[in-house]
Amino acid sequence: MKEILKEIEERFGPIWERVQRPKLAQVGIEPAKAVPLLTWLKEHRGYVTLVHLSAVDWIEQGEFQLTWLLGNPETEERLMICSRIDRENPAAETVSGLWPQAVTYEQEINEMFGVSFPGSPRQGVPFILEGWKDIPPMRRDFDTVAFVEKHIPGREGRKHIDTRTYIGEKFGEKGYLHD
Amino acid sequence: MTETRERSKEVQIWFGPQHPGITGNMSVQTWLDGDTLTRGITHVGYLHRAFEKLMERRLYIQSFPIVCRICVPEPDTNEWLLASALEELSGLDREVPEKARWIRTLVLEMSRLGAMLMVLGGHAGSMGLGPAPQWMIALRDLVLDRFEELTGGRVYHMYIVYGGVRRDLPEGFAERMEQTLKTIESKLPLIDDVIFGSAVFRKRAMGVGVVPREWAFEMGISGPVIRAMGIPKDVRKDEPYEKYAELDFDVVTEEGSDIFARAMVRRREIQQSIDLIRQILARMPKEGPYCAELPNMLEWTIPVGQTYVRAESSRGEMGYYVVTDGSKKLRRVHVRGPSYVHGVSLLERLIPGTNIADLAPLMVSLQVCPPEIER
Repeated sequence: MKEILKEIEERFGPIWERVQRPKLAQVGIEPAKAVPLLTWLKEHRGYVTLVHLSAVDWIEQGEFQLTWLLGNPETEERLMICSRIDRENPAAETVSGLWPQAVTYEQEINEMFGVSFPGSPRQGVPFILEGWKDIPPMRRDFDTVAFVEKHIPGREGRKHIDTRTYIGEKFGEKGYLHD
Repeated sequence: MTETRERSKEVQIWFGPQHPGITGNMSVQTWLDGDTLTRGITHVGYLHRAFEKLMERRLYIQSFPIVCRICVPEPDTNEWLLASALEELSGLDREVPEKARWIRTLVLEMSRLGAMLMVLGGHAGSMGLGPAPQWMIALRDLVLDRFEELTGGRVYHMYIVYGGVRRDLPEGFAERMEQTLKTIESKLPLIDDVIFGSAVFRKRAMGVGVVPREWAFEMGISGPVIRAMGIPKDVRKDEPYEKYAELDFDVVTEEGSDIFARAMVRRREIQQSIDLIRQILARMPKEGPYCAELPNMLEWTIPVGQTYVRAESSRGEMGYYVVTDGSKKLRRVHVRGPSYVHGVSLLERLIPGTNIADLAPLMVSLQVCPPEIER
């Protein structure tokens, strides 16, 4: 994997790179260079498979990280291309022209993180959620507990917190518990 | 004007979410011209339980009861992937004992066997061959018996943990497993007759749902779907994990790339799994620890890092992209299931031109599992 990393360094000047395992390397690249790098890897270096596209919310730094994982079926090597974009009005170039299945990944990231991919079909079309009005739920600042308390009515809990006592009262003196 | 008239002939039909032929909690919005499908859109979301989000709010050890639910018929691959990813990022992978690696390989192969028995029955059931799926489920239950005695659970096991597995093999397990394998093997010729010998199955499966070879790599197709194209791709061989590199097996391939070829790959892989389980049990160390010395799970922190690990599930390449930030909880986990490609982009491309009666067999042959699409 060191050869491909060296080539990427010479051609694209990545921000960082590392070999994670013998068949897995990672590259950090500026957003503007990401799609040219992905295109070059697909067209000229045999990384023809888009294994997945994912996003990570680095809220402390005010950034989203997009991770494209490419696979080379000849060598079975995997290359992780990471690029950080601004968290305010996040947008990235689509790769749906390169890989048809990227449409689904971009649709999901748009829904779950609020990152838009202009030109990608199905942007803004619900994928998993329906009638969602809150902030995109996979963002770190989405409060799951507050959401549940607001939208799902609570129920009265049982009076006892001690299971043995509760079962004893409900099912008789000895209950179903062994001594 | 012509197009409008053509469009007006189309009838829109929802296939699922309540339909005996749908593969789980999902639906396909289809448009029909006569009885031929002209297009389709996959809809998921009926089963979204925010697994990935939940894991960001829990300690590492608390994620095991979540990940196993990402695939009901085959939960152990998910347990292994989570354990393996975090072991790699924490450095714990160097501590996993030899015996634990053998037991993990055993569990992964038992899991594949159980899932393939189920889906091969599904192949027949989706074409109206009623008895076969019931027999296959009965055989799968024998595998679940062994899981129950090994892990305490039939469906969800939570058996693979960081550093190894939760407990050792019970006394006499290998003998009982051998008996189970013999029983399954004895019934397979009958299954062959009923499924592969059936004229109905052959006529409806051959030449139907053909995936063009040129889609294979670009779309990220994997598992029995790619092997039915004659392409020998299998993660167990391509990037061997646990003890697979030490086992003797060949990648099963078939030609035709249709429903029949995919069913045949699964049938042959059932026999392959049986053989592999025998090999594993024969080489299982008698002594030694089954789990590494673990740090305090309530205080366990993992340094900043990210990785992608993968395994060969019965459906194809299952992968976990995991990001840690030095805290006691995951920063991000992204589950990449084969159904994400097979059940959405690939299915939608295969639908145009398919007869409506062939949609259920087509979906079963792609082994679509909705929980791993919507996680």
